[in-house]
Amino acid sequence: MDSVDIGFILNGREHKRAVRPNQILVELLRGDLGLLGTKVGCDQAVCGACTVLVDGDPVAACATFAFEIDGREVRTIEGMADEQLHPVQQAFVDNAAFQCGFCTSGMILLATSLLERDDDPDQATIREWLSANICRCTGYMMIVEAVAEAAKTMRKRAPGS
Amino acid sequence: MSEHTPLRTVGAAVPRKDAQEKVTGSAVYTDDISLPGLLQGKVLRSPHAHARVVGFSTDKAEALPGVVAVVTRGDFEGMSPFYGYLIKDQPVLAVDKVRYIGDMVAAVAAEDEATAYKALELIEVEYETLPSMPDIESALADGAPELFEGDKPFGVANPYGTGASGSIYPQKNVCYDFNFEMGPADAFAGCDHVYEDSFNFSRLQHMHLEPFVSVARWTHDELEIWSATQSPFVVRKELARVFGHPENKIRINVPYIGGGYGAKNACKTEPLAAVLARKARRPVRLRFTAEECFLTNTQHASIHHLRTGVMSDGTLVARQSEIFLNSGAYADASPLVAEKAGYRINGSYRWQHIDTKCLCVLTTTAPAGAFRGFGGTQAAWASESQIDMIAHRLGIDPYDMRMKNLLNLHDPYVPKESGIDSDLREGLTLVADRLGYKTRRRQRGRGMGLSVVVKDGGGANKPAHAFVKATTTGGVIVSSGTVEIGQGSTTALTSIAAEVMNCERDRVSLAPVDTHSSPYDQGTFASSGVAIMGKAIEIAAEKVKREVLEFAAGDLDCDPGDLELLDWTIRKGNEVHPLPPMIMKHYGGPGFEFVGHGYYKLPEDHDAPLETQISYWENGWGGAEVEVDEETGQVRVLQLIVSSDFGRAINEGACRGQDEGGAMMALGQTLFETMVFDGDTLLTPSPLHYRVSLARDLPERFESILQEQGHGPGPFGTKGGGESGILPVASAVANAVEDAVGVRITDLPITPEKVLAALDRQKATGEG
Repeated sequence: MDSVDIGFILNGREHKRAVRPNQILVELLRGDLGLLGTKVGCDQAVCGACTVLVDGDPVAACATFAFEIDGREVRTIEGMADEQLHPVQQAFVDNAAFQCGFCTSGMILLATSLLERDDDPDQATIREWLSANICRCTGYMMIVEAVAEAAKTMRKRAPGS
Repeated sequence: MSEHTPLRTVGAAVPRKDAQEKVTGSAVYTDDISLPGLLQGKVLRSPHAHARVVGFSTDKAEALPGVVAVVTRGDFEGMSPFYGYLIKDQPVLAVDKVRYIGDMVAAVAAEDEATAYKALELIEVEYETLPSMPDIESALADGAPELFEGDKPFGVANPYGTGASGSIYPQKNVCYDFNFEMGPADAFAGCDHVYEDSFNFSRLQHMHLEPFVSVARWTHDELEIWSATQSPFVVRKELARVFGHPENKIRINVPYIGGGYGAKNACKTEPLAAVLARKARRPVRLRFTAEECFLTNTQHASIHHLRTGVMSDGTLVARQSEIFLNSGAYADASPLVAEKAGYRINGSYRWQHIDTKCLCVLTTTAPAGAFRGFGGTQAAWASESQIDMIAHRLGIDPYDMRMKNLLNLHDPYVPKESGIDSDLREGLTLVADRLGYKTRRRQRGRGMGLSVVVKDGGGANKPAHAFVKATTTGGVIVSSGTVEIGQGSTTALTSIAAEVMNCERDRVSLAPVDTHSSPYDQGTFASSGVAIMGKAIEIAAEKVKREVLEFAAGDLDCDPGDLELLDWTIRKGNEVHPLPPMIMKHYGGPGFEFVGHGYYKLPEDHDAPLETQISYWENGWGGAEVEVDEETGQVRVLQLIVSSDFGRAINEGACRGQDEGGAMMALGQTLFETMVFDGDTLLTPSPLHYRVSLARDLPERFESILQEQGHGPGPFGTKGGGESGILPVASAVANAVEDAVGVRITDLPITPEKVLAALDRQKATGEG
């Protein structure tokens, strides 16, 4: 089998592609689709720099086959902002929650997946959730604070709150 | 704390300049660079720790469809294929021998990564294995094999001034030694007590998330490289020497860098990428895997023997130290690390006599090089641990012992050296108070520890060039060789220019780093960006401003001193004169640019130990509270308080990030993070096996206190602060453990096994 036909929604838009059976999701995103905001760090599903959301779940795009996203919805960092930054992105800006920026796309998506499940996580929950990814620069506190701030913003914006 | 004049941009609560790009994923890194016809490079590495390379067979690899070039030592025609900082000992690919497991032997450029990997499997190499020497003890043992046999690689020792000396290859398997002596040796004779203690420092992996990566392309005889490097101009100079190629025909571009912490200094992937691209006649990306990064550069493990003489009242008198650094198989930055590990062993204290010797020991392991803290981390671990040990022996509180012996503000670090530029007691009091040190309730199992550290910053003898230019309509472009590696240089350097030019920071942009157009820089290291490069930018911006004011004074027929520049208008009393029409009236419709060059360097001083006085001191303070579980030996850090004096913070968020990032890296090293070797074999060879600090490792209370004491030499009183946070943590925690349960751990990391063993010894001897 040379290729597999798959269909998926990427950042809100429908896509149909033929992918190699052994093609990795991050190759599809970075190579074929030119979405370079997803970074490859360790390339073994440890560091989380390549985190994208598949049906809202954080996954390591370096350790996911492209065919696994067939029929599913994928969100990358490029799909986060519309006219303005997503509240998580804005909170990362306002809290200087990044330095070199290499983990930032993955951290923002990881944090978003938390806040879409739990709109008022406590410190311990945020720390535990963020432990899926590595940031070697910041020492984490400013990221934790950014996520708490983003939660507050998102609660204010949520309908009915 | 000093009061500051409020400034417009410096210290303003504004986001980092690189924020939008980094949170939207649009920031470009080297791995994002693509060129038409780009090939993928992969490296064949040695499975042996020490072996002669007898021969190769590359035919099968070359015949594999999709393989464009296979390179070995046979492809070095016309080259001097060795590189290194002071000692040119590291081959682009193995020439006579391999010297560690992972040493580079051959490389392939292929149409895609999978083909390149397949080709590596088809290369046959014949080795003749030799005895290995995986650690300091085995490398120094009688009868140890010699890593560099016969004529030694070319190298030059640094020049030194008063009391300091250094030499290359002073003895077998030692590539460098650094020595420093001051004051009379008989000072020991007058001491009430002399204590001898030894310490072991562990070896970290930098684990920058962006791996070592470069893209190389030859166009006719011009070599162009995109690289994640902290020192593009040094890489250019090395490539020129390695290839015998003129520097004007080598161009290095540096996109954003995904972390380095020292590792990305000097040549890493670049020479090999250029060799591959030359043979393939196509551009090549050489991107190491995370496992390969572990085999490319590490921190220095070290052994410290300290002999310290004191008076019964706690006065420090004399210290003799012998330090052994595990340099790995090639010198890399080791000589410079030795210099600093030796020079910083004093800590921030007053001494009558110092006698220090630091040796770089070659072993059959991956090369050790620059790592955040640069020898200072090793020195601080040993020195600040021993201060507490001595205080306990003398029955003095370690806080009081420090307060008694700390250097005063402006006291020279040692004779002929610059003065300490922070009030060290002020910082220690701040941290001790925040921790609650003085009011703590004594109870077995809980304890507190402190640490005060010092590191010379700014890079010894480092020059800085910068350009600033202002366009017709008031856009300001700043250009320097400082690279953005996460430390916040983009923010700091544009803020400094905006402050001087009296405009919004949004009107200032930073030019990309490119060795053809950026002014020369030795590299982004030693926390030198803000204070040293920032100074050159301040000078350049001042020149531009002066030119603009002189130009306007000519037009308005007045004295430049009567004019002020504000948001690209000229203010003359109550009159407002926009600059663009004035400029176009003079230079015509196409307009003009005002250009300023700034240069900054401290004068050479042959009396100073390191040939120039240290430009500023990175001072750091740390305090920890721990709980020790005596059943399991587990140390839990309840509180970690760190503090650095940035002189003046250009951007508080960036400063805080530097301090806290360093501290969390150090907390990992303190408790669990370490490269584990079994002989020559690395048992923690990848991020899967090698554990770094995660968010769940944050102590319950973790705070950084940003000090702005205002004594720095940089613009507006700044100092660098990228490394102070990593320095005090390990010793503060070890000191807290002793405070809690009376046992002293002298060997990092402080694992439950070591704590339990120490508690067992304590029970057996009835001490504590």
